Amino acid sequence: MKASLNWIRTYADLPADITAEQLSHDLTMRTVEVEAVTNPADLVDGIIIGRVITIRKHPQADRLVVCDVDIGEEETSQIVCGGTNLYENQLVVVAPVGASVRWHGEGQRVELAAAKVRGVVSNGMICASEELDLEDLFPPSEDEEAEIVDLTALFPDACPGQPLADVLGLGDLILDIDNKSLTNRPDLWGHYGLARELCAIYGGTLRPLPTYQKPESAADYAVSIADPSRCFRYDAVVYEGVRPEKSPFHMRRLIWSVGMRPINIIVDITNYIMLAVGQPTHAFDESHVRNGIRVRTAKEGESLELLDGRELTLLPSDLLICDGGDKAIGLAGIMGGARDSILPETRNIVFEVANFEAIGIRKTASHHRVRTEASMRFEKAIDTQRCDLALGIAQQLLSEWQPGARLVAAGAHRARETESIELPVSLQFLNVRSGCPITAEAAAAALTPLGFGVCFDGRDTLTLQVPSWRATGDVSIKDDILEEVCRMIGYENFRYTPPAITLGKAVRQLGMESDRAIREFLAYRAGLQEIFTYPWVDDSFLSITGGKTDSLVSLASPPSPDHHYLRGSLIPGLLEATVLNSRYYETYGLFEVAQVFAKGEVSLFTAEEKLPLQERRLGLALAGAEPFPLFRLLKGILSQIPRFGRVQGWSFAPVGDKMPWADRNAWLRIVSEDGTVIGSMGLLSPKATADSGVRVPCVALAELSLDQMVPLQSRDNRFEHLPLFPLVEQDLSIVVDEKISWAQVSEAVSNHVHDAEFVEEYRGEQVPEGKKSLMFRFRLSGETGTLTAEAIDQMRSRLIKKLKYTIGAEMR
Amino acid sequence: MTDKLKEIRLAGLEAFAAAETSDQLELLRQQYLGKKGLLTEILKGLGRLSPEERRQTGQLANEIKNQLAGAIESRKEELLANASLFVQPPDLTIPGTGMARGGLHPVTQMCYDLNDAFRSLNFEIFSEDEITSELYAFDHLNFPPGHPARETMDTYWIEGTESKHGAERLCLRPHLTGGSVRYLQKHGAPARFVYPGRVFRNESTDSRHERAFFQYEALIVDRDFSFSSGLLLVRTILEKVFGREIPVRMRAGFFPFVEPGFEIDMACQVCGGEGCPVCQHSGWVEVMPGGSPHPNVLRAAGLDPDVWSGFFINIGLDRLVMMRYGVDDVRLFHSADLRFLEQFR
Repeated sequence: MKASLNWIRTYADLPADITAEQLSHDLTMRTVEVEAVTNPADLVDGIIIGRVITIRKHPQADRLVVCDVDIGEEETSQIVCGGTNLYENQLVVVAPVGASVRWHGEGQRVELAAAKVRGVVSNGMICASEELDLEDLFPPSEDEEAEIVDLTALFPDACPGQPLADVLGLGDLILDIDNKSLTNRPDLWGHYGLARELCAIYGGTLRPLPTYQKPESAADYAVSIADPSRCFRYDAVVYEGVRPEKSPFHMRRLIWSVGMRPINIIVDITNYIMLAVGQPTHAFDESHVRNGIRVRTAKEGESLELLDGRELTLLPSDLLICDGGDKAIGLAGIMGGARDSILPETRNIVFEVANFEAIGIRKTASHHRVRTEASMRFEKAIDTQRCDLALGIAQQLLSEWQPGARLVAAGAHRARETESIELPVSLQFLNVRSGCPITAEAAAAALTPLGFGVCFDGRDTLTLQVPSWRATGDVSIKDDILEEVCRMIGYENFRYTPPAITLGKAVRQLGMESDRAIREFLAYRAGLQEIFTYPWVDDSFLSITGGKTDSLVSLASPPSPDHHYLRGSLIPGLLEATVLNSRYYETYGLFEVAQVFAKGEVSLFTAEEKLPLQERRLGLALAGAEPFPLFRLLKGILSQIPRFGRVQGWSFAPVGDKMPWADRNAWLRIVSEDGTVIGSMGLLSPKATADSGVRVPCVALAELSLDQMVPLQSRDNRFEHLPLFPLVEQDLSIVVDEKISWAQVSEAVSNHVHDAEFVEEYRGEQVPEGKKSLMFRFRLSGETGTLTAEAIDQMRSRLIKKLKYTIGAEMR
Repeated sequence: MTDKLKEIRLAGLEAFAAAETSDQLELLRQQYLGKKGLLTEILKGLGRLSPEERRQTGQLANEIKNQLAGAIESRKEELLANASLFVQPPDLTIPGTGMARGGLHPVTQMCYDLNDAFRSLNFEIFSEDEITSELYAFDHLNFPPGHPARETMDTYWIEGTESKHGAERLCLRPHLTGGSVRYLQKHGAPARFVYPGRVFRNESTDSRHERAFFQYEALIVDRDFSFSSGLLLVRTILEKVFGREIPVRMRAGFFPFVEPGFEIDMACQVCGGEGCPVCQHSGWVEVMPGGSPHPNVLRAAGLDPDVWSGFFINIGLDRLVMMRYGVDDVRLFHSADLRFLEQFR
């Protein structure tokens, strides 16, 4: 919202020398965020008044003339101009060389240089309003093609050479206030409210506004509210004999300076009132309003054409202004109907000042997508008392600027008045909650200028009367008073007080610690990169990975049509990320910790709240060239997680069904100590690899539940004594049937060796069909002394014999 | 013979000194001191000498033998001390070889930095589910009915629940604050915790706006906690992020779930508070909202607002990371693009 300091000053005595920076800082600290402060005079910096002395034809161009213009200097200035409304002695707007203008109202502003126009020297230009961004203030008439601004009638006393800004009175400070910071302050949506706030900050006096008097001669006018829960008050005042001509210049300038377009005096007065006190008003042409006003909700299927030409099909919850014949003439609190514009022919008006319930206005405005200056204000909840201010200003302005207009009738329906609120607040509360001592005097000094009634019982209690303009939801509890007092004292005046803290137990959060240890292990030991992907999954990756959709949770308004489902697994997102990175990398690893979702009904806090199943999972993806080494790498990383993450261990087994995305020969489930399947791992199948378009030969994927991991109370690995005698290390290569697994070999040798470690597998020459060669490394230890060569040979042959009998192994 | 011995000594010492490798020295040792070496050969003639001469010559020979052996050892030491692994000195300007790849997401790193700071102040770390209900996301937080954030256009509602109300209307959490109420309901007061997490808004994206982004919430609830003490939370975060004390200020701000509510600004780090285009010449940059939990929020959490009060802040982690590293596009955080993420190893 924009506000003019000049306008504010009409209501408030403020320090004369206040700077834009100071104003902006103080308002921002105390009240609302000022985003920018501008001076409208800057728009016409360097632009001056000129008087056209002579006009000659341009020798080279039919549409141009050459003028000698008095710009207050000894010599006249020669300016080439294309204006069609030039005449001698005319007072015009001159942009001399060096000033900047917007050529034909388009593009960036450019600085003028002395130039030849079709061979004739022109020292600057005579401006049209659009060239100075003043078209709303001096709207070009429709029948003139190239009209320059004519100031002769409006400012006959203006002198050539005088700055245009001075003549027009543009010097002002316009505050641009962040609307978001105003949402809770309906009283600040007008200049009077801001004036009150600034008086409170700077200690100025707020001037009273004119009051409304219904003349005795005025007849009664019928007004009825059919739904008093939606419209709290409606005042209608009928004026006869208005003349909707242009407003006086200073009114136009004020309205224009805060970003609205002046129309005619009647419309301008309604806007002026809204900008002055934040109360939207409306004027209907009386010839379209039969027999009074009726406020009611819309009927099913009813429609209304708005002032802006839109045709609305109304909902039964939309509130309408109708005439006595029940004909809809406006959408309450938002916009008038199409047929009730105030036109130059309008002579009699019905002037509306009303108060509407906020939520209803918001719903209608957002449903029909018609947000107006009026609806924005009503949505904030305005007090009913403000209607009186609006009526008073209207009466005063009309009598001043439309002396021919007569108030002939008036009527009102006042269903409900904004109730005043009385709040007792203790000084102790203010002291404790602010952290600083606040006296009753200080509290009163902060609150009184804001309109609060303050009464102190002399001990600890302040009884506060909340003014009506703050009593529509903004101030209702003692905490609100705390804020009012402290912000007016100034938050910067409260010193930081370190909190006094009682230390209980040390924080111990095993799950949190494991989560972090696992991530750090994966990142810094396993060399994987952590990623985050969106919770909504791409349909194509869902189908590539064989995800079923019937159990998935979906979004009512998804970010895009093919991202409808929320993930039930991390696999699709990881695969998508793997595909993306395969454009730039050949070998890499990714991991993600995130929640997955499935339909369900989980009520942890209240029975009514039935949340879907939500589980934190860890997903891993590796990309590489060789399938089995990649699989082993992933298995190795997963096996190490319990150790580094300090969670209970797990094992791997091909139990249950294969994951849809996995190679049929390379997948395992991850099984916890109590036998629960808590995850899975595998190589991406050739089909899924092809479908995904990934540019690396092999992808290995794993996913496991973090929620099902059991953090250890402490580290659980034990110290092992160093061997007393040196261990002997040997390699052994055996040939076994294809079906024999390493697990079987390992089991067979377990009683004969200190430990055994897989080295490699080999198939091919020298190994018969259906067999494989398996090499492993084992270590032997002596119990009573260093092993002798004989003892080693003996142990080795026992081992070989055992392998032969148990798994049919031959030496290679 | 004595002369011969002395000749050998001289020649030996010269030869040893000239040796350049330990292999050469070994050959020389054999040549002079070996079983068939020069010294042994000479001493074979000892038998022909008189006993007195033999004793003297033998003594001299031993002396020379020890002297030569010592010279070999010291030359060996000398050579080792000056030895190098390289015949040709290598090119040391070639860069070192890389470590293993991998790293934490920059948002996680920032989050851990902040967690460490708050853990040192005895705060707990809290996490909550991403899907919540209107009851927690809005009702408990004192959002008035009809607040625009409740509309579909701002929040991702779960299909099938979007036209219900309160606990039955589910959504991806639009902010973390609702989860804080769950914490208080569960653990009661006093409470001291931080709550990092991801939140979701239904809006169009650009370099400054994302549909999924990260917040970091910190909350203290205690008896008679004053807002003047609340700055502790702000200071802890900013000091951790920037590594030094940053001037901050609190000013009036409105949020439904706090009363009083604040906008918290920090001194602009681009101009040092002097005023520049980044801070719109005010010297201050808005960094986070904060305030005392509204009595209605405390009530929703089952706490008596006449007994308990507190302070809350909520800061955008993405924005902090962007400030820390100068990242100019928030969408990169969810890109999963290694070319971006690997920069934060």
